[in-house]
Amino acid sequence: MGPASAEEHLRRAAGEPEMMGPAMDGTVQGGKKMASRKRTVAGSLVDSLLQPVKLSPEELYKEPTNEELNRLRETEILFHSSLLRLQVEELLKEVRLSEKKKGRIDVFLQEVNQRIKKVPSTAETELIDQAWLPAGVRVPLHQVPFTVKGSFRFLPPVQVTIVGSYLLGTCTRPDINVDMALTMPREILQDKDLLNQRYFRKRALYLAHLADHLARDPLFGSVHFSYANGCHLKPLLLLRPHGKDEHLVTVRLHPCPPLDFFRPCRLLPSKNNVRSTWYQGQSHPGDGKPEPPTPHYNTWVLQDTALESHMQLLSTVLSSAQGLKDGVTLLKVWLRQRELDKGLGGFNGFLISMLIAFLVSTRKIHTTMSGYQVLRSVLQFLATTDLTVNGISLCLSSDPSLPALADFYQAFPVVFLDSSGRLNLCADVTASTYHQVQHEARLSMALLDSKADDGFQLLLMTPKPMVRSFDHVLHVRPVSRLQAACHRLKLCPELQDSGGDYVSAVLGPLTALLEKGLGTRLQLLAHSRPPVPEWDISQDPPKHRDSGALSLGLLLQPEGLSSVLELGPEADQPEAADFRQFWGSRSELRRFQDGAIREAVVWEASSLHQKRLIPHQVVTHLLALHADIPDTCIHYVGGFLDALIQRPKEPSSTGEEALTVAVCCYDDLSRLLWGLEGLPLTVSAVQGAHPVLRYTEVFPPAPVRPAFSFHEHLQERGLLLPRSDKPCPAYVEPMTVVCHLEGSGHWPQDAEAVQRVRAAFQLRLAELLTQQHGLQCRATATHTDVLKDGFVFRIRVAYQREPQILREVQSPEGMISLRDTPASLRLERDTKHLPLLTSALHGLQQQHPAFSGVARLAKRWVRAQLLGEGFTDESLDLVTAALFLHPEPFTPPSSPQVGFLRFLSLVSTFDWKNNPLIVNLNNELTAEEQVEIHRDFLAARTRLPVMVLVTPQDRKSSVWTQDGPTAQILQQLVILAAEALSILEKQLMDPWGPGDIRTVFRPPLDIYDVLIRLSPRHIPRHRQAVDCPAASFCRGLLREPGPSSLMPVLGYDPPQLYLAQLREAFEDLALFFYDQHGGEVIGVLWKPTSFQPQPFKASSTKGRMVVSQGEELVMVPNIEAILEDFAVLGEGLVQSVEAQSERWTV
Amino acid sequence: MVARGKKRAARDRETRIPSPPGYSAIPIKFSEKQQASHYLYAREHRVREGAQSSWPQKRTLFVLNVPPYCSEECLSRLLSPCGPIQSVELQEKPDLSESKKEPKSRFFHPKPIPGFRVAYVVFQRARGVAAALTLKGPLLVSTESHPVKSGIHKWISDYADAVADPEALRVEVDTFMEAYDKKIAEEEAKAKEEEGVPDEEGWVKVTRRGRRPVLPRTEAASLRVLERERRKRARKELLNFYAWQHRESKMEHLAQLRKKFEEDKQRIELLRAQRKFRPY
Repeated sequence: MGPASAEEHLRRAAGEPEMMGPAMDGTVQGGKKMASRKRTVAGSLVDSLLQPVKLSPEELYKEPTNEELNRLRETEILFHSSLLRLQVEELLKEVRLSEKKKGRIDVFLQEVNQRIKKVPSTAETELIDQAWLPAGVRVPLHQVPFTVKGSFRFLPPVQVTIVGSYLLGTCTRPDINVDMALTMPREILQDKDLLNQRYFRKRALYLAHLADHLARDPLFGSVHFSYANGCHLKPLLLLRPHGKDEHLVTVRLHPCPPLDFFRPCRLLPSKNNVRSTWYQGQSHPGDGKPEPPTPHYNTWVLQDTALESHMQLLSTVLSSAQGLKDGVTLLKVWLRQRELDKGLGGFNGFLISMLIAFLVSTRKIHTTMSGYQVLRSVLQFLATTDLTVNGISLCLSSDPSLPALADFYQAFPVVFLDSSGRLNLCADVTASTYHQVQHEARLSMALLDSKADDGFQLLLMTPKPMVRSFDHVLHVRPVSRLQAACHRLKLCPELQDSGGDYVSAVLGPLTALLEKGLGTRLQLLAHSRPPVPEWDISQDPPKHRDSGALSLGLLLQPEGLSSVLELGPEADQPEAADFRQFWGSRSELRRFQDGAIREAVVWEASSLHQKRLIPHQVVTHLLALHADIPDTCIHYVGGFLDALIQRPKEPSSTGEEALTVAVCCYDDLSRLLWGLEGLPLTVSAVQGAHPVLRYTEVFPPAPVRPAFSFHEHLQERGLLLPRSDKPCPAYVEPMTVVCHLEGSGHWPQDAEAVQRVRAAFQLRLAELLTQQHGLQCRATATHTDVLKDGFVFRIRVAYQREPQILREVQSPEGMISLRDTPASLRLERDTKHLPLLTSALHGLQQQHPAFSGVARLAKRWVRAQLLGEGFTDESLDLVTAALFLHPEPFTPPSSPQVGFLRFLSLVSTFDWKNNPLIVNLNNELTAEEQVEIHRDFLAARTRLPVMVLVTPQDRKSSVWTQDGPTAQILQQLVILAAEALSILEKQLMDPWGPGDIRTVFRPPLDIYDVLIRLSPRHIPRHRQAVDCPAASFCRGLLREPGPSSLMPVLGYDPPQLYLAQLREAFEDLALFFYDQHGGEVIGVLWKPTSFQPQPFKASSTKGRMVVSQGEELVMVPNIEAILEDFAVLGEGLVQSVEAQSERWTV
Repeated sequence: MVARGKKRAARDRETRIPSPPGYSAIPIKFSEKQQASHYLYAREHRVREGAQSSWPQKRTLFVLNVPPYCSEECLSRLLSPCGPIQSVELQEKPDLSESKKEPKSRFFHPKPIPGFRVAYVVFQRARGVAAALTLKGPLLVSTESHPVKSGIHKWISDYADAVADPEALRVEVDTFMEAYDKKIAEEEAKAKEEEGVPDEEGWVKVTRRGRRPVLPRTEAASLRVLERERRKRARKELLNFYAWQHRESKMEHLAQLRKKFEEDKQRIELLRAQRKFRPY
């Protein structure tokens, strides 16, 4: 993936020596380095680093002007904060149309108007006789069935009016559309045009003729057809200017009938205007069935008649109030970021404007409100009002002839009537779309109320594509399969109503079916709206089946995922039959422990991984049963990435269970430690400090049962050693446990002595555990390794006051002060911060079962990109935790897939330079404290690491990123993450399958200068590789527990030992990159600065040699010898050393 | 690469190997198999007039750039043809000042992983140094008669060596603690003796152990005292009592708002520069 840009980046870093500066050892000339660092800081400040603001006292305390006071007051009343006000103003400036462009558009519109009026009329012909149309243009409508009565002739429109957002001033970039309503003359239309799509046919022919004439005009760069809001009966003509203005504006022509031509009572939702005899092509001679109503068809006609009245309403409401216009614009941006505004049934800008008009009429919004307040009020209204139950209406008249809201609910799921009381503005909006809008509004309100600092960014600037917002996504393809589903679901009347658009006909019933079936597992079901096509006038309109795939997004309820049972009613209840009918063969009678006999459905799932995918089973089963869609037509995207965190031999689990086993074993051990008798001091706390104990170890440990024949023995110590004639034994990493002992006056007050006392405790612990519990132990000066049930724990004894003792410095006057030293910081990190973090994340896992999966996928990816060693384990875990604790504007992820995508998006979009990533564990930080943290951060920015993570326990220093990453490594990660995100999203949203999901996990290797290839024989974790090797070596493990237990080989990983040696020896000259999970190659990057010839210095001769350059003697790296050293140091492990570039030639 | 290596080798035979002034370069290789070699830069160990050094003058050879696979024993073996060797010490950096060397415990200060190091080789006679400076080399670290372990073999033997003997550890801890306890007891006895006894100028040392214990002399304690003082004073102060206080607090509020506004403007500027206001 993306080698090009990554390479470019690293080369760029190579070109700027000062960028590499901080990454290097301090042995270079101190003065020079300081200077270069200062320059870097000063240079970057100009472009992108925030600084604390310094204002002189005169400026701060000068007398305020009236204007200033007014502005301050306004900000306080109308906006949340001054920052928000500025942000909103900036955004509006960005999306609003500039006056200059408006002028150009106006000129173009006048031209269009004149051209349209000049289009010649034609002679009258039958509707079905379309021979008069020239060859270059096709009718933009599916004419099924073709035969229809009536005649057509073209006459220029009687009136051309501009309607919609352009006149209202609520048009937003990037797509500027101007809607023009062309009123067709009465002569064209006939009395019965309402029937059987005749009006729509005439409308289409009208456009076809217009298109033909306008396309010949050089004024237009392009003339296309499209659909009005995706409605397949209502084509539009799109006109774009010629030349450089092509992307300036799109003029959309809507033909509409003259005012009062159709009788409104004929267009009520209960009326039929498409006869089944005509539509189905056969005669049903009087079988007595009433014709089904055609509510959508009627609405589409009504929409055309109401264009102008809506325009008038909106212009009276909006024209005088800039705040309302701003509100509409902000809401449009809001909807757009959530992909809610496009297609048939989208929640578009028009709907929002009407909603604002409604809120103004009910006095929920006042015309003096600011844009931000309007946004807030509308969101509040949407969040609290369910239009699928309580419809609203703009109609004020109490005419008894008008239909009631209930009549509309017969036909539509969502009801919002316009001022005529006959037109449902939300006719095409499905219930699930509205629920999605509501859900988003609720989330946004919560975000606005939380007073978060970056609310604006999250609310209006963060895109929420489906694959990143929903836990699982499923695609139904090919779409033509839905036609069969329509018949199966008995949706013929709906098809007749929607003019054959089976996708929209089936959408409502299908989502309702799935919502019912998924029940408690589901929080929200959303469907993507098929994109509105645009086609050339010489082509036929695109077929329904060409509209891609239908994609559904499932937002899962983590609580519902844990059960494998769907509990039905008791067997003798009448509902039982419904239940059986709904679930078909999956429904079984079961007797439960409380004696009840009930209908129930049980899904097969044993592990969390399988339970997470129960929705897949549900969806496949229900769609096959009720909609006749076989599982080959369903592409369910939910568990593809799970393969990367599965252990090679266990495809049924993603390891959460194995982690739980290890954690339980740790719990047992801690109980043993608590109950240990004979320790001079009692144990005051036992805390886990290892990734396994917070569920974030990529590959959870399995109990080890070493084969004796595979190892050397050291019988008297009860342990095993690796043998040089065998492949490297399995890698066993001991799990660190910190064991605090109580404080006592007997502890010495001297660091060296405390160390000795701790060692004595380690020895004693080992003795006691062996004596009292028969555990195999091995003590060293700093830790005791314990083998329990095949897991190895490393117990470190800790004394609470030890960091304090290490910090004490006595000044010459005898004052004892505390100063942080590297040793004290390290000790504090290992014995205080790490256990706290581990327990906090352990708690997080209990709340969010998906945490483990996400954290492990994220870590796996970073390591697979060979960057794992630049980041501490804890820092990556914290970034993942942030996704769960601060999910805004999303909800906390419930599947590893969506969590991983958000991890990539967070890493690639977060402004690491100017912001600390605050991870509010246990919600301990208040909003004020966060503001303060932010301020402190800005003041201390240059002293802090490049990546700053703040937790409630660690507010200032960012302990987990102190030693890295360096700026280059972080930048590299950001670039890789951005690229991986776009590739992965494309793969997952591809309805025909993800292709190779491991693509983004393969690192680019061509950016490295040298590749060291390792022999798999000595890579103990070889099987964990991203591309799992077909064959690997035996690692000396038994399937069954052996007779007695000896301590296995611990922490013996030759590649890691090799890397440690390389780094120690060649730290000044090169960077080494390796994937610890079975990587077969080490990437080496030379540091460009160390390749500059340097004068001789006794302190920096490491691996260099003296050469004469001209007159001077200078030092350069002895590359040839170093390359041979790579092989020498890794004898047995290294297969080959490949120099990839000639860049090192000095 | 190979071609370059050969050419350089050819050139080296003709001319002297370049070396910095005062040093002589001795090529060193791991074994016969390697083509290219590292260079040891060696000279006689000297210190400036007046400075002390723990190494004997004249007899000590100072060597730079010792490769990681070359251990003390190894270097001693390689240089022994020049004359009998008294000691070899390898260090991370050349030690500039005199540093006292404590015997390091094997358990508490594990040996660091070797990189490129410097060596101080003390010959028994001064002649050895001169002989070593004229060595032509290349020296071979690992030969058939004295193989040096590297790679897998080295790691396995390191792993075996790292297995601590608990008994030895216990003995070491016990001896250390005995010595420590003795030291502490002595100090306490001394402190007790001095308690309340004025020194020659008549000053009496007051300690925590005395009859009337005093505040510990730590920074934290003194900060605590200051904080307490400050709080006491703050309690006595009247707020919003005088008109000027009102005026000032209002002005302060305004100043805060102004500051915030400036900060916000700066952020906006930055975001605008990063094109963060484009919602598409």
